[in-house]
Amino acid sequence: MARITAGVATSHIPALGVASDLGKTEEAYWQPAFAGYEWTKAWEAEQKPDVVILVYNDHATAFDMKVIPTFAIGCGEEFQPADEGWGPRKVPVVQGHPDLAWHIAQSLILDEFDMTIINEMDVDHGLTVPLSMMFGKPDAWPARVIPIAVNVVTYPPPSGNRCWALGEAIARAVASFPEDLSVQVWGTGGMSHQLQGPRAGLINKEWDNRFLDRLEGDTDALRHIPHIEYLRETGSEGIEMVMWLVMRGALGRATRTLHRHYHVPASNTAVGHIVLEPLP
Amino acid sequence: MTPPRDIHQYLAEFDDIPGTRVFTAARARQGYHLNQFAMSLMKAENRERWKADERAYLGEWKLSDAQKQAVLDRDYNRLLDLGGNIYFLAKVFSTDGQSFLQAVSTMSGMSLEDYSAMMLAGGRSPAGLRSLKDKY
Repeated sequence: MARITAGVATSHIPALGVASDLGKTEEAYWQPAFAGYEWTKAWEAEQKPDVVILVYNDHATAFDMKVIPTFAIGCGEEFQPADEGWGPRKVPVVQGHPDLAWHIAQSLILDEFDMTIINEMDVDHGLTVPLSMMFGKPDAWPARVIPIAVNVVTYPPPSGNRCWALGEAIARAVASFPEDLSVQVWGTGGMSHQLQGPRAGLINKEWDNRFLDRLEGDTDALRHIPHIEYLRETGSEGIEMVMWLVMRGALGRATRTLHRHYHVPASNTAVGHIVLEPLP
Repeated sequence: MTPPRDIHQYLAEFDDIPGTRVFTAARARQGYHLNQFAMSLMKAENRERWKADERAYLGEWKLSDAQKQAVLDRDYNRLLDLGGNIYFLAKVFSTDGQSFLQAVSTMSGMSLEDYSAMMLAGGRSPAGLRSLKDKY
């Protein structure tokens, strides 16, 4: 049987990808942001997950204003790193896991989550930056990846509660897949940041750290945070943190923190990262 | 289950956040062609045509005159008011060779140096910037 072994959350700031690609991670500005991922890189090398279910948002790359899926699942064989306007990142092609992805898609729809199924799409920094942060710069990514794209650009995005419930349904889907696979669920985006308007540059360390606190243990308080609170407290782009709740929901009743990292700034954004394991 | 929300109250609250334009359906409709124009700059051949003659390239799109002028002026706050979304507008400033940090600083009313220094010092505090009505 397939099983969810851990949950990982991380910011997916594009500048982190640029710093990695250009070999700048030891520079004074970037070193503290990257240092917090060293523990995780070593841990991932030991864990060797077969599949990562990677929850992220597309930033006007694969989806423009023509089609806006609330929840989409990538069922293709592979996904190319996207050209986001300055050429594709020189990182490995992302290998999918169509058997598990289609199983999850079918299970979710039967479980009343009306997923959009994507067979072909390019993946942007939202998906490839987390892979770089957790796996470094290998010739091929060491795990297969099932992209789950969440709309957090055009309002309304799904509620935190719905994201958490989607995670619970993903866990049921994984548990009913007959092949023996080690599966991690990653939630990405955030933490506090605002990329627009006169309030740009907003960072809320206290709120972010309280959010990290409540990912651990058996509380489900986070699922009830309304959109307006993310907007007021964490900036207009802080809403991405609802995607972390898909990961948390997939881990079940209770969790334990294995590793945690927080750093300001990377470009306009607060870097947040946590590794959780599910408790029985 | 979360109880159903009052859509009017849900949307009205967004206007109470200082210095912020939430990308609502109304803005998405207003900015549809503006955002799709920006999206077209994802393709290298379009970027070349755009750089060669910005006005001619804009002429191929159903933008309002105000939207066209704001694009030519790179007035990003104005573009947000006219329905632009930052992830789409990013295609314009990326084509100009600007980073997110550079482009975002232009909306903050601060110089790039002052904005970068604020970020290094921990970013902009939310104190007093959460609500126009309740001033907290």
